[in-house]
Amino acid sequence: MTRYAMVIDLNTCVGCNACMAACAMENQTPVWKNKWRTYVHDKEIGSGEDIHRRFFPRLCNHCSNPPCMSVCPTGATYQMENGIVRVDEATCMGCGACAMACPYDARFEVTYADVRQGREFFGAETYLRTRPSMDKCNFCAERVLQGKKPACVETCVGSARQFGDLDDPMDPVTRMVTSGTARPLMAHLGTKPNVYYIDDLKRRG
Amino acid sequence: MDVTTSFATQDLWTWWLAIYLYFGGLGAATLTTTFLTDMYMKPHKELVLWGAWSGILMLSIGSSMLFIHLLDHMAVIHVLNPLVLIKQPNAWIAWGTQFIVWMMVWGFLYSLPYMLESPFFNRIPFLKNILSWSLVRSIGATCGRHCRLCGWLATINGIGTVVYTGLLLQSFPAVALWHNPGVPLLFTVSAFSTAMAFLLLILNLAIKKREEDRPLRVFYERTDLMLIAAELVILFSFFFYLQRGNQSAAISAQLLWNDWGWLIGFIGFGLVVPFLLELKGVIKGWHTPVPIMLASVLVLVGGYLLRHYFMYAGVYAHPW
Amino acid sequence: MAWSFPRLTRRSFLKSTGVAGAALAPPLLLNGCATRQSPESTEEVSYSICNFCSSLCNVRVTSKTRNGAKRIVKLDGNPNSTLNRGKMCARGQAGMRQTYDSDRIKTPLIRVEGSKRGEYAFRAASWGEAWEYIARKTQQAAIQPWEWTMVGGWTSCVFYMNWAVPFALANQIPNIVASPMQHCVTTGHLGTDVVTGNFNIHDEILPDYDNAKYILLIGNNASIGAVSTCRMVRFAQGKKNGAKVVAVDPRLSETAAKADEWISIRPGTDLDLCLAMLHVMLEEGHYDANFLRRHTNMPFLVYRDQADAWQLAKDAQGRPLVKDDGGKQRLKEALAAGEHQLPQVLDITDAPIRVLPAYSNDNRFDIDGYAFCPALEVPPGTRSEHTGEHELMTVFQAQREEIKASTPEWAEKSTGIPADTIRRIAREFGTTRPAIVDPGWHGARYGSMMMLRRVQAMMQALNGGIDREGGWIMSGEFHHKAAKQWQAKQAGTPMQSQLSNLAGLDFANLVIGAVSRGENFSHGRPGFSWAYAQQQKKAGKPWVALPVMADEGLKESVEGKLEWNGEPYRTRALFVNAANPVRHYYPDTYWKEMLQHKDMELVVLLDVLPSDTTPYADVILPNSTYLERDEPTLYGNGVNQDLAITTRYAAIEPLYDSWESPDVLLRLTEILSGNVEGLLQNMEALTGLPAEPVKAALARNRAADIKSPFSAACREVAFATKAEQLGVTPEHIDKTLREKGVYHEENWQDLLKHSAIPEQMPAVTPSGRIEFFSSLFDSLRAMGVEGAAFNVLAGAVPVSCRKTQGMDEPLEPDEFYFTYGKTPTVSYGSTNSNNPVLYAINSFKSDVYRGVWIHPERAAALGIGNGDWINLTNTLSGQQQRGVAHVTRKVHRDAIFLHSSFGIENPQLTRSYAYGGVATNKLIPHNVEPVVAGFRSQEFTIKVSKVNNIKGGVV
Ligand SMILES: Nc1nc2c(c(=O)[nH]1)N[C@H]1C(S)=C(S)[C@@H](COP(=O)(O)OP(=O)(O)OC[C@H]3O[C@@H](n4cnc5c(=O)[nH]c(N)nc54)[C@H](O)[C@@H]3O)O[C@H]1N2
Ligand SMILES: Nc1nc2c(c(=O)[nH]1)N[C@H]1C(S)=C(S)[C@@H](COP(=O)(O)OP(=O)(O)OC[C@H]3O[C@@H](n4cnc5c(=O)[nH]c(N)nc54)[C@H](O)[C@@H]3O)O[C@H]1N2
Ligand code: SF4
Ligand code: SF4
Ligand code: SF4
Ligand code: SF4
Ligand code: SF4
Ligand SMILES: [Mo]
Repeated sequence: MTRYAMVIDLNTCVGCNACMAACAMENQTPVWKNKWRTYVHDKEIGSGEDIHRRFFPRLCNHCSNPPCMSVCPTGATYQMENGIVRVDEATCMGCGACAMACPYDARFEVTYADVRQGREFFGAETYLRTRPSMDKCNFCAERVLQGKKPACVETCVGSARQFGDLDDPMDPVTRMVTSGTARPLMAHLGTKPNVYYIDDLKRRG
Repeated sequence: MDVTTSFATQDLWTWWLAIYLYFGGLGAATLTTTFLTDMYMKPHKELVLWGAWSGILMLSIGSSMLFIHLLDHMAVIHVLNPLVLIKQPNAWIAWGTQFIVWMMVWGFLYSLPYMLESPFFNRIPFLKNILSWSLVRSIGATCGRHCRLCGWLATINGIGTVVYTGLLLQSFPAVALWHNPGVPLLFTVSAFSTAMAFLLLILNLAIKKREEDRPLRVFYERTDLMLIAAELVILFSFFFYLQRGNQSAAISAQLLWNDWGWLIGFIGFGLVVPFLLELKGVIKGWHTPVPIMLASVLVLVGGYLLRHYFMYAGVYAHPW
Repeated sequence: MAWSFPRLTRRSFLKSTGVAGAALAPPLLLNGCATRQSPESTEEVSYSICNFCSSLCNVRVTSKTRNGAKRIVKLDGNPNSTLNRGKMCARGQAGMRQTYDSDRIKTPLIRVEGSKRGEYAFRAASWGEAWEYIARKTQQAAIQPWEWTMVGGWTSCVFYMNWAVPFALANQIPNIVASPMQHCVTTGHLGTDVVTGNFNIHDEILPDYDNAKYILLIGNNASIGAVSTCRMVRFAQGKKNGAKVVAVDPRLSETAAKADEWISIRPGTDLDLCLAMLHVMLEEGHYDANFLRRHTNMPFLVYRDQADAWQLAKDAQGRPLVKDDGGKQRLKEALAAGEHQLPQVLDITDAPIRVLPAYSNDNRFDIDGYAFCPALEVPPGTRSEHTGEHELMTVFQAQREEIKASTPEWAEKSTGIPADTIRRIAREFGTTRPAIVDPGWHGARYGSMMMLRRVQAMMQALNGGIDREGGWIMSGEFHHKAAKQWQAKQAGTPMQSQLSNLAGLDFANLVIGAVSRGENFSHGRPGFSWAYAQQQKKAGKPWVALPVMADEGLKESVEGKLEWNGEPYRTRALFVNAANPVRHYYPDTYWKEMLQHKDMELVVLLDVLPSDTTPYADVILPNSTYLERDEPTLYGNGVNQDLAITTRYAAIEPLYDSWESPDVLLRLTEILSGNVEGLLQNMEALTGLPAEPVKAALARNRAADIKSPFSAACREVAFATKAEQLGVTPEHIDKTLREKGVYHEENWQDLLKHSAIPEQMPAVTPSGRIEFFSSLFDSLRAMGVEGAAFNVLAGAVPVSCRKTQGMDEPLEPDEFYFTYGKTPTVSYGSTNSNNPVLYAINSFKSDVYRGVWIHPERAAALGIGNGDWINLTNTLSGQQQRGVAHVTRKVHRDAIFLHSSFGIENPQLTRSYAYGGVATNKLIPHNVEPVVAGFRSQEFTIKVSKVNNIKGGVV
């Protein structure tokens, strides 16, 4: 069995946004309205002279217990055997319940207008989407099925993003997760996220 | 990683969804109340026709709100198919859609025998032709024979719809304001309270059988009074529930209890004022129907405000 | 109607959804499967090189063909590349949107009759019309060869130098202005290069972060984390491997954010910091003495002459002198090596002074081949018969004396960094091996910059960290060239094809020599900047010693204020290729005035997108974008430590009727001089591309009506020539490149084994050593240069941001030092801010990217809140700009910071224009330093005030 997961090392993310660009190009997302499957936030932390600048990449967590899926009335949101949570564009009616249910703000709308614009922007001959739907990161499922890494991971200049299989005990990602070095976001919600973060705040005091 | 928490409210489900939830609850509760009244308190043709058709109309308006805002209208087919319940048993919109659809169907069938006899419906062009078809007449007759069955099927779906409006919000785990068992309760109570208010308006304005319907009105007034009281109690507990605990809840509390619209608009004019008006009506009675009608209008507006503010004040805590 | 009656709304809701669209969709779709695929399309992969910065990442291009239409769908870092390791930054990732940018220049454009330059009134024209226009104008105005100036950017420099220089020579044009020079290459790199001898643009320092234990970053950001992919991938690895990182920057940049320690320095004072560090390292002995003795000129003897200037002690043949340390060190080595004949050990005072070969990388052997150990310090009273009465000391001692006053306590005053911290990092850096000090790429900013780079190179050399694992590695290409050059030197044969084969400072000298000497041209004129330098010098005014490809004197020559041999030396025509001087030079008005001058007869411009300079052209020629072109030759693998070759393969046919640079230059040659033969001959002589085969291929391509026949011909011959050198077939190279995108020749670890500089081979400095005492600055003295910037040793160079006060005196309450830097998602101030993907990211981060960074304490005192509009006024020049405050503790209290990418003014570049932002070129005056005319682009202060009559912060 395979259980895909991502580890993000905040210590080497430089906020270059290459992941955002790579994802948008790979997955033909609606850049014209500034909606992305992944964002990199730029945060100022600390007080007084103690200043820390953190770049915080985020994306869908491919939760093992995804509320977005349980609320989906059409069944468009589903989980693959390898754990990837996906939206079937053809089935999704775009009610938005999944986006309301997602604690991680991972989802956005692709409207009829976006589909038209997408055809123009990405070229009718290569634009893959045919219907509007909710959209979100799908761990680049097609690439992963071909044995490639997700686009954002592949290009991450800081090697901050790593992709792996939690069912493989030898995978470095598994080791970082099981050792507690990498931790998920808002675990208390019970969503069982599968994107894990390595903290960048060292003990100073 | 959680030192940078930021709070966000959503802008995805806004007033249109508040309308959906409002009319869903109001419509279903109205329908249910009139059918139960008709079945167990007092057969009342006008009430049933008014209740059924305004209920169906409200449900249609509410559902069309959702439908219009769908991204892909064709794909709605997937939720209209009842088999969806087997596929997505956890998805409340799937249940809700089925409840709404079937409630409209059974509601229509329950009211059909009354319609067949109603001079009003038999005057409407086209409709009067349809009502004269033998198939329609025999369906009407069958329904008349099994009216309790139809009534209960409609009622079950109606109550389902009412509860669903709350369960839907409750199914979003990140937002403390929504993700608690108080929400279905609150929405159910509110839905029935607004339904009472609506029916009081109907009885006062449209049906106007003043004397005959007095016991009914009194019953509705009393019920409404209790429901409003219950609603106030629930809100009171919400107030304390939101104060402590989850960060998301605390921010929601701040948003709500610092907002005049919520405090004065909803709690003040939507609950307390009608409560007092109806309380006086129940204890001492009014000489004119105006105060009760005013209370009803206030309750109806309040019912919308409740949902509006609930949608708006749901707070997500993001760790970035 | 909006979701607003309880506040909160980020957008309005009643947007019309396309209900009609739904009705038309076939119901079939509803049962569609989850994966999006277009079965009828075929996918192809080809390889290219990114064109958005000098990191030159290798790119893998995926394109799809469907129904006969081919389109690029994705760019990735080439996974076969050891340069960028399969990764690319946001600009690279979004690069294909340049090709598909709706704002592209799609046909040749000719300025409408009667319009003025700057108005952007153009009509579409055919190439034929455009050439005809250029020919007519050239003739009518009788523009002379020297009256032309070529203006180039880094693209034209890196990829087409082999055409541009032969073009200049064949057409007798002595003038090239290149935008990377005054900003980064000459100002910054040359400083490093005079120490290490390397002059390979942007790849003279390829820090081996992977293996470093200590990384000290001073004023770098875009060259690492924000982002030069090739370096960032190594930096990230180094961090993961546990290197300690210290970043010195007045603001918490992307790179500094990744450091273990951020040292917020007062802008413009880095030289003081580094001198103090050098001071501590020299005084406390934190250096690799063995390395200094053997491979640097630290042990060379020097003296002070009558004018109190440092002079190298030399024998009659000009060879350097060093003192034997008395054999103690030699003895240790000999014992360790088990030698039988042990050297005699003397007291150092009695030990002899030895003569070393003038050019060598090992000081342990004197001219007779006698092995000894050179002394780093000599006793007082050391004299030599070669230098008579002068008391001698080593460069090491002289350097120590030169910076005696530069203590950490002294530096604390100007830098604002506590002396203890300075001392600590000097010790950490000096005692951790391997350690790297990294000075960044962008050079300009202050008159002290070149000295700063020299000192940083010296710090690195003190650690012995040059061409060693974990230190500064030189590029594969440089090693390759330097090795060939060393062989030729040893064999006494001159180098062939010098433009493409000469390495390091020898290459720099070639370029300088070509344009600075009138003898090289039939008309006898040197480049205008050299003529201008002489004119200024004669008039006793400030002049620039090495104005290499600088805009120094251009304005004067346009305005008729420049003379050569009593005759006017005018500039009346410009050919601008892949450059945007209005935007990239300072100030914008300086160039606009030139471009609009009544005597400016012709401005021809080749670009892919409308920049801020295009409105000032007469003829705009469309170039193909990098993804649409096969390049005319093979290239080295850029800033790679490994040795490899690569090139571009067109992924798609050009979308529009665009030409390639070499073909444009060929056509221009036909128009200007008709000297096509000269162009080809110069190419052969300088770049080694044989003329005859090129001519034959050109004729063949023309007959076959191939697009860009000249480029294609050159490419064909370049492949053949390279194949011959490598002993393989051109097909083999082509096949490898088609499959992999890079043709790998040798790993850097292997290269170091035989070509490490200075351990295996001499450096390409005049002495072959790593030079603490600079030969270049020594030779400049002969020209009569003056000032601290020309010191032959490391020394202080004052920075004057204000007319009278020094850097250690307090600022006025509303006064700030000015700093700028690059944005991770934009190249320079380039047209790719118009890229829709990058534009979207920049909008997402507009507070940080578009805002003017200002410290909250300073802002509060001025009543400025986050998002407020503020006025910026240059105290030196009076230039003014308006911006939006980004109030943040990420910036030094004394500084404001802004990203230098924005403020584009040409509305034709629709998204860039819409974005707004502060234009650096409208705040920075024309003010250059005296060595290479580097821009003093931060050497002033800015007064900040709140703009009161504008509400809100949205641009
Ligand atoms: N404002 C500002 N100015 C700067 C800098 C900065 O950060 N901000 N940085 C400085 C530094 S360090 C450097 S190295 C220089 C670099 O300066 P340049 O090399 O001049 O920089 P670019 O903007 O990349 O290129 C200039 C022009 O080339 C065009 N171009 C892009 N691709 C092609 C192509 O394939 N063919 C042709 N013909 N043209 C093309 C662009 O549209 C642009 O108009 O800028 C310096 N000046
Ligand atoms: N995104 C992006 N990356 C690029 C390029 C690009 O155009 N865009 N271009 C490439 C090229 S050609 C170049 S030259 C390099 C430039 O690469 P760098 O030289 O590394 O980058 P810059 O952004 O010019 O400036 C580096 C830092 O210097 C800081 N700084 C300003 N003044 C001072 C000072 O007085 N002292 C100190 N210590 N720091 C100061 C700024 O805050 C900034 O963070 O980038 C390369 N990479
Ligand atoms: S590509 Fe990697 S380093 Fe760059 S912003 Fe994204 S996660 Fe961070
Ligand atoms: S992050 Fe959100 S969208 Fe993704 S699986 Fe979890 S709940 Fe669903
Ligand atoms: S928007 Fe689509 S995926 Fe989301 S819940 Fe509705 S039907 Fe499911
Ligand atoms: S995994 Fe793929 S879809 Fe998800 S953020 Fe990364 S690139 Fe985008
Ligand atoms: S660092 Fe980015 S812009 Fe520069 S060459 Fe590499 S991918 Fe291109
Ligand atoms: Mo540069």
